[in-house]
Amino acid sequence: MRLLTVRPRSGDPWAPYVPDEEMPWNLRRVVHLHRRAGFAATWEELQRDLKDGPEASINRLLEGKSRSCGIPADFAAFADRLADRALAAPDSSRLKAWWVYRMLFGPDPLTERLTLMWHGHFATSNGKVNNVALMRRQNETLRSLCRAPFGSLLRAMLRDPALLIWLDAPDNIRGQPNENLARELMELFTLGSGPYSEDDVKQAARALTGWRFVGDEVRLIPSRHDQGTTTILGRTAAFDSDGLAALLLDHPATSRRLAWRLCHEFFGEGAVDERAVEALAGGLRAHDLDIGWGIATMLRSRLFFDVANLGRRIASPIDYVVGTVRALEMFDPAPSTPVLAEWCRGLGQDLFYPPNVGGWPGGRSWITTRSAIGRTNFAAAVVDGSHVGLGTSFDPIELAAHHGQGRNPSFFAQLLLGADGPEVPLDALGPSRQALVRLLSSPDAQRI
Amino acid sequence: MITRRCFLARGLRDSTLIALAPTLPGFLARTAHAAGPEQDGRILVVVQLDGINTVVPFRDEGYAKYRKTLRLPEKRLIPVNGEVSLHPAMRDAGKLLESGRLAIVPGVGYPNPSRSHFRSMAIWQSARLDERDHTGLGWVGRGFDEGPPTRDGSPAALLIGPDDPPSAIRGRRSVSAALDRLDDYALIDKEAESRPIGSSSAGDDLGQFLRRSLLDAFTTADRLKALGDARGDAAYPEFELARRLKLTARLIKAGMGTRVYYLEQGGYDTHGTQLPHHAPLLEELSRSLRAFLDDLAAARLADRVLVLVFSEFGRRVAENGSKGTDHGTAGPVLLAGPRVRPGLHGAYPSLTDLVDDDLKVTVDFRRVYATVLKNWLGLASTEALGGAFDPLPLLHG
Repeated sequence: MRLLTVRPRSGDPWAPYVPDEEMPWNLRRVVHLHRRAGFAATWEELQRDLKDGPEASINRLLEGKSRSCGIPADFAAFADRLADRALAAPDSSRLKAWWVYRMLFGPDPLTERLTLMWHGHFATSNGKVNNVALMRRQNETLRSLCRAPFGSLLRAMLRDPALLIWLDAPDNIRGQPNENLARELMELFTLGSGPYSEDDVKQAARALTGWRFVGDEVRLIPSRHDQGTTTILGRTAAFDSDGLAALLLDHPATSRRLAWRLCHEFFGEGAVDERAVEALAGGLRAHDLDIGWGIATMLRSRLFFDVANLGRRIASPIDYVVGTVRALEMFDPAPSTPVLAEWCRGLGQDLFYPPNVGGWPGGRSWITTRSAIGRTNFAAAVVDGSHVGLGTSFDPIELAAHHGQGRNPSFFAQLLLGADGPEVPLDALGPSRQALVRLLSSPDAQRI
Repeated sequence: MITRRCFLARGLRDSTLIALAPTLPGFLARTAHAAGPEQDGRILVVVQLDGINTVVPFRDEGYAKYRKTLRLPEKRLIPVNGEVSLHPAMRDAGKLLESGRLAIVPGVGYPNPSRSHFRSMAIWQSARLDERDHTGLGWVGRGFDEGPPTRDGSPAALLIGPDDPPSAIRGRRSVSAALDRLDDYALIDKEAESRPIGSSSAGDDLGQFLRRSLLDAFTTADRLKALGDARGDAAYPEFELARRLKLTARLIKAGMGTRVYYLEQGGYDTHGTQLPHHAPLLEELSRSLRAFLDDLAAARLADRVLVLVFSEFGRRVAENGSKGTDHGTAGPVLLAGPRVRPGLHGAYPSLTDLVDDDLKVTVDFRRVYATVLKNWLGLASTEALGGAFDPLPLLHG
């Protein structure tokens, strides 16, 4: 076994990455960037970024310009039509397909990834909300504010109909408080467990009383709102929803929880230490909890490209399914997006139906007996085509030849893993398909 | 004839998996010692009914008085003791009782009972009486919130059936799921079984975890396939509940780490013409249960399994004008398995000493839950049940 020695770091743990002999800009790191920050990349995109270097590559991702192929000309209009049809039905499986379509074909994979991250942070399930229109609305809000200062997102969520239904806010009335929203607001959305007491939860619930549905809109009904003075986290005032949000946003624990959330999303097991999280939290505080700043800082950092971060994450079902289709350029004809969403559900990530308010726990919990078998089956299905709604099987030789790699048995390992093996021989179609299935279902292909 | 053990051993020998086993101590230990499931870890199977009318207090003078058209002839009843009997359709439950595998707790309910299906089921599933506490989480899910995760990453609780997991098994942190067919555990690519998994160059902890998990998964798939192929599998009757219990038994035999299986049997809401509708349901229940427990006994797994059968309420004591019964309050809870203390636990509530025409509740349902959480699954029960409830002496040490 190879032992990794982590260099003792002094100075800024978020110092930018500049390629050097120890950490060269190579295919492995290009693949890493796209699998972590987007949903994998095509061969052409990888080669382009390999040539252009990290700065240009990272900027393109941040600006939503990382994809050079596979984006339909009418993407935005078509995506909207898909969502509209999901609402008209109404049909949650079409809404899932809409989101998968956005991840697969949209120009801005980083934004979709961040939307997914916030879906896990403010985890709301249509299982209880039972309203496709409100779930879409929440999703659009998460998307539009995914890189904003966190305060904007938090305040929007505290008025988001789906979230409020999910956490029983309409039942939270002056004199009959329901603590569900107050508790999750503190424990999951802002502070994290620890810095508050049970009494703080009770008092926060009072501050959040009075929100009620008028049609599909949420309004504060003064007669249902507790306007009394409360003491929360040692501060006494007549708190309302925004006042409580301001108090929580100001608390240093919130910046730490956000730093944890971002690191949890973009780093592998053990790839960041306490000091780095603390430094990122400090930076967020200095930048008005600006998530965009945090993302850019992380993606540009040396820490992000450190060996200790390469391949140290378990690919989520979305990473695995969308990333595979994307890297193999299965754009035209493309697999059925409702079927892809269904595969993700079977593998443990049912979009719009997180398992509970804590979101998907992620990491090693993605791998269960059922999902491990499911991933192997997906590998076979996507190459065969028939179980993902395609009439034809995937042709590995054709894709390799298209990129002038027809004689390179390492082509698929390079494309998918940024590594030189395992090899996929490209001499005969049958064996090359089998080898590709084997590669896709290998342990290495489950990590990003 | 090829036994399951031979089949599996041969399958493994033929595959290249075995060649990689030396790098995988956990896998090696498991397969070396048993080509079958692990023997530890107690399992609870919950069968949820919607309304029940099952245990007959035939000696109670109120029985003849209130059940004019629905009264069951005494000579066909299946005796439990001198006072109480089981419905004639429950012959197999009678056999379970005879063999010491059935316990009956009569009069189970909660204070100020609700006769609404929705509310009452929410109370039973959440173990919370106040409607404001019905937040979609349940007693099993909350119980696992405080327990360790499962050994193999399987969901702690699994609904067996076509629906979504019910709130009873949903937790704030613990994982629940639903499963209706075994297809999810079958490898569609025939070559997958014999595929080398160890091509990973990464020898780090995460790489080892992935290799071990994939091997474990393939081994489970292998076992389930072998179980499915095996002839002479225990005979189950042709009922939907039996199908689900058979599927549950397969998962248990394959060594899945899931600790609670939740099943539902509907149709008990017999507001009208109860006699011809009720008997087949009880027959389905009791025959399916017995087949399940016999199947597990043959596989030497029965000692690890306890079945809890409940419904959200009993029926009104007096029958209605449609030869049926309306929603009532207290009802019996059944516990089945070789580790129960068999027989009737406590007196059946009197049919002549009623509250608003309904039976008096004599046992709080949360005491039954406390019994299975603490004494069977070894979980803390206070948080799960929203208070401290004493377990009942329903199980052997």
